[in-house]
Amino acid sequence: MNDAIVVENLSKHFRRFEKDRPSSLKEAALRGFRNLNRSETKFWALRDVSFTVPRGKMIGIIGQNGAGKSTLLRLIGGVGRPDSGKVKVSGRIGALLDLTTGFHPDLTGRENVFVSGVICGLTRAEVAERLDDIIAFAELKNFIDNPVRTYSTGMQMRLGFAVAVHTDPEVLLIDEVLAVGDLAFQDKCLKRIKEFKQYGCSILFISHNLGQTEQICDEVIWLRQGELVAKGNPEVVVGEYTAELASETRRRTPIEQPAIITPSGAELAVNKNRFGSMEMEITAVELFDSRGVPATELNAGEALSVAIEFTTNRPIDHPIFSISISRDDGFLCFDANTSAQGLQLPVIEQNGKIVLHIERLDLSGGRYFVDVGIYEKEWTYGYDYHWHVYPLEIRAPESKGILRPPQLWELSELAQKAEPVDTILRPRFIEQGRTNL
Amino acid sequence: MNNTSAVAIVPLGRRVIYIRDLLHALVLRDIKAQYKSSILGILWSLINPLMQLMVFSFLFRVVLPLGIDNYAAFAFSGMLAWSWFQLSMLQATSAITSHRELIRRPGFPAPILPAITVTTNLINMLMALPLLLLFIVFSGGELKSTALFLPLLMMLQFVFTLSLAYLTATANVLFRDIQHLMAVCLQLTFYFTPVFYSASRVPEKYKFLYELNPMVHLVTAYRDLLLFGQIPNLRTLSFLALASVVLLVFGYTFFMRMRDRFVEEL
Repeated sequence: MNDAIVVENLSKHFRRFEKDRPSSLKEAALRGFRNLNRSETKFWALRDVSFTVPRGKMIGIIGQNGAGKSTLLRLIGGVGRPDSGKVKVSGRIGALLDLTTGFHPDLTGRENVFVSGVICGLTRAEVAERLDDIIAFAELKNFIDNPVRTYSTGMQMRLGFAVAVHTDPEVLLIDEVLAVGDLAFQDKCLKRIKEFKQYGCSILFISHNLGQTEQICDEVIWLRQGELVAKGNPEVVVGEYTAELASETRRRTPIEQPAIITPSGAELAVNKNRFGSMEMEITAVELFDSRGVPATELNAGEALSVAIEFTTNRPIDHPIFSISISRDDGFLCFDANTSAQGLQLPVIEQNGKIVLHIERLDLSGGRYFVDVGIYEKEWTYGYDYHWHVYPLEIRAPESKGILRPPQLWELSELAQKAEPVDTILRPRFIEQGRTNL
Repeated sequence: MNNTSAVAIVPLGRRVIYIRDLLHALVLRDIKAQYKSSILGILWSLINPLMQLMVFSFLFRVVLPLGIDNYAAFAFSGMLAWSWFQLSMLQATSAITSHRELIRRPGFPAPILPAITVTTNLINMLMALPLLLLFIVFSGGELKSTALFLPLLMMLQFVFTLSLAYLTATANVLFRDIQHLMAVCLQLTFYFTPVFYSASRVPEKYKFLYELNPMVHLVTAYRDLLLFGQIPNLRTLSFLALASVVLLVFGYTFFMRMRDRFVEEL
């Protein structure tokens, strides 16, 4: 058998205790210890889930909060007991879960490497052997003898990650930890994980970064309320999942909100060009050119800044801001969001403003819209999304393509000497649609 | 079918080394953490019992004289044994509830957590032990060969404490107020343990009840070995040893049976 993990008809339910079961002795005594084990509401964390993970494959698990992703990972790790069904794992299990588990703030980085390494399943001798590699990987050589409490969160995570990836698991469980440190470090982490795969390690991967999941996994499993909805090609499954999220936003969009007119004169009407739960609202969107002057028209290749002002009346956990530029016909030309850049915003409690600076926008000439949105921290649904509200005109000759980067034609004829024509230096040649040859 | 089978083919030898290393690393962490965060550091493990000793000495030599020879060594020996027990029980009771991440970690042996607290406090006690020996020598007493049995006695107390720790740690997951209850119980038990007085002063008619407290026998045994140079009551101790082992098996089994619940309750 070549499967590292076999999950057969796995079910797990949790009892909700808050209502019926006493959590302190006093309550229990008051009720005469009667319904200690009785439980009214039980909900399925996992329901009849079956799949296998072949050796050396990486499987992503996606789904909303509470869909059972972490429960599944834990059961596979042997933590907790399934109510029915079977989990079979062959090989040593490694886990990238809480990276800083076991760290003591007063101990030095080096001392904590030993604690954490042993918790990760290494013996002390093995940790000692790998100590130099671990420190080098974490890029903390100069700080390793300082107490961990002096480290930034990023440094702590790097150290935790470095320890965890210096074990040799045959099955690796990863839960939401690849957003560690800066992009360069994340890249290194991914590389390391690919190495694991290469020597036959099977990996289960949970991430809210759908793009990353799609990119690095061989297959993706989609869980919805404990049930397996789909398993298969990452692109297909992630696509279906994203489509469902979009409809979720539609469902949450309030109907009674009156239409408003934006400062730029566009009408903003709920369910027409505005969607979302309105827990957080976009109050103004402004476009600026390179000199910081408000602009709705730009030349191709100019810089663009998009400023979003927002307000909320309750704290919002790490929202995601998204800005995209799409053509009149809806074709998406540019797409950026804070989460894809590995940026985790803090809890937002009041008004604020966020600005995206685009250094140069090399789009073909034409009419575009800047679409802006704020999403729940796991992309579950949108708080506020303005679609085709903010127009942007790019001044450049129309073309069938999307891009208009700086370009240069160079013709070499055998007999004649070629003369380079540069669109930046002499754009009028291009604009006239022919070159001066 | 209810099974999760993680077929991790780990040789037993490595497993044993691993558990030892885990205990080592986590105990070391706790001990280091204790002294790193304070200026006086490790001295605190001495200052605390010494202050208590001063109070006891004043009370029971001056205010209410008990007529015990060599009172410092007498009381200090009782205090060391008692505080090992008390602190272990207090900390072990919340050993599971305060280590949520470790419990939920695949492959982490949860039963090691109560053992870590008992071991950490054992080491604290061992660090104060030289002071006790100083008290004995300076007050003109002498250490007899019976002191060589000290490790055995400590082993007994270790097993006894650990077996109770498994029960209270498990119970605390189900009812969080066990830890408060423990604090109260321990405080009361302290008075029913001959720490600052001698068990021989307990009137005959209460003796039976009084001696139901296992700590009475343990504390008395420490004094027999270290202060009086005599072999303690072996019958009681072997009974206690047997009971502790049975209790340990029971406590451990209870712990392991409830273990899957921990994950859900935490």
